[in-house]
Amino acid sequence: MAALVFAALILVIFNFARDPTVLRAQDLAPSALWVTITFASVTALNRAFAVELDHGALDGLLLAPVGREAIYLGKLLGNLLFTGLVQAITIPLFVLFFNLDLHGTLPAILLLAFLATVGFTAVGTVFSALTARVQFNELMLPVLLLPFMVPPLIGAAQVTSKLLAGRPLADSAGWLQILVTYDIVFLTLSVLVFPAVLDE
Amino acid sequence: MLLRAEPPANGGFMVAAYALVAVVLVVYAVTLFVRARSLVGEVKE
Amino acid sequence: MTSSSSLSASSSFPQSSTSSAVVAARKSIRLGQALTVLALVALAAHYVRAIQYTPIEATQGLAQKIFYVHVPAAWSAFLAFGILGVCSALFLWLHDRRLDLFAEASAEVGTVLTLIVLTTGPLWGKPIWGTWWQWEVRLTSTLFLFFLMVGYLTLRRSIFDPLERARYSAVVGILGAMLVPFIHLSVYMFRTIHPKPVILNPEGPTLPGSMLSTLLEGVAIMTVMYLGLVLVRYGIGRLQDEKEARHAAQG
Repeated sequence: MAALVFAALILVIFNFARDPTVLRAQDLAPSALWVTITFASVTALNRAFAVELDHGALDGLLLAPVGREAIYLGKLLGNLLFTGLVQAITIPLFVLFFNLDLHGTLPAILLLAFLATVGFTAVGTVFSALTARVQFNELMLPVLLLPFMVPPLIGAAQVTSKLLAGRPLADSAGWLQILVTYDIVFLTLSVLVFPAVLDE
Repeated sequence: MLLRAEPPANGGFMVAAYALVAVVLVVYAVTLFVRARSLVGEVKE
Repeated sequence: MTSSSSLSASSSFPQSSTSSAVVAARKSIRLGQALTVLALVALAAHYVRAIQYTPIEATQGLAQKIFYVHVPAAWSAFLAFGILGVCSALFLWLHDRRLDLFAEASAEVGTVLTLIVLTTGPLWGKPIWGTWWQWEVRLTSTLFLFFLMVGYLTLRRSIFDPLERARYSAVVGILGAMLVPFIHLSVYMFRTIHPKPVILNPEGPTLPGSMLSTLLEGVAIMTVMYLGLVLVRYGIGRLQDEKEARHAAQG
């Protein structure tokens, strides 16, 4: 819930922080949307392992006869669902606040959102487990994770801006390739390294 | 008459950069050498 | 008492026998010091060559010569980071404490090199491009290298158990190393679509032979510099590690 309010507030600030005569809503919108999603996701990820840590449930999970990879995938899905929920509310808000005419690009934008989110959530899930047991973890997680959010962010913002300008998705093939490659590489790596984070 | 243009007088930047690199590397190296010396003295075989 | 299990912090993270660790550390330091001094002297000679014996670029002037320290430093910074990535991956596979210590040394030296790149970059950029900063591929990638290395080192400082610290750092190291190509690619793609006017191309369509050889000399020197510094730092890390293990055993 806090993440949603946070997201909404950021959108509002972005709107008021620009000069409407100089910067059209349409030009600012992709950046605003993606920055918002980024920050809301980091907030969500910070909490992802905190609950389990508090209640000692993490040790319970480790004892269960379930592979470490399975724990990772479970956490990943959970985080994706949560971020998905945040986006499901943020994106309509963003269309509303910026008075955007989507003209049929919604499915493409949703696909894009999914691709970008998988990328940084894959790494974020690893880092949130890692920083859960580290000092200053509210700061460590963003510090470690934000560089990883940049390539998906650039890709998503660039493609969104093309879509809003009415260009077909095919025009953004290059960016989409980068996004998909990023997802594959980091999902694979994350699954491989996650056990190292959980080992006692 | 054709005038050959002189290259711009921006040598100051070069001096600053070269000085910076030298200073940073020397200071860092010295810091490491000093620390190494103290640890070698402290941690015996 | 020289049995390793009585001195290591946890028996699942064994060290080599204590005296061999100290001997190895000292060798590393001596070799590293020699290489560093060699590299520093060579750097001075390189300065002379770059300033006196390499032609001045007609349209860019003396400031173009910053190129001969900036690019080699960038190369070494990326080398340092690459080695950090490799050591991290190898550590997760082999669990050899020495790999972790070398990764740490590489990160620290790499951070220093990165700072050199990020400060000489604007000093070069202002006279050549007209702006202190450009979001172009090399500078942006190096900036990210900086963030990743600082994040890595900060993480290390916040974990006290050596095994946990080594494992967690290795995870960050591998993921970070894999990120850099993507940053590079994304910025490149961004620049292809949104090119900034580049007033002068610092590297020119082809580099004349004399400039190229000076540049290569710089790269060689900076590589040796990295090696020297990292070996000393690694030796320091091993001695520090040994010192901590002895305290833990006594306590």
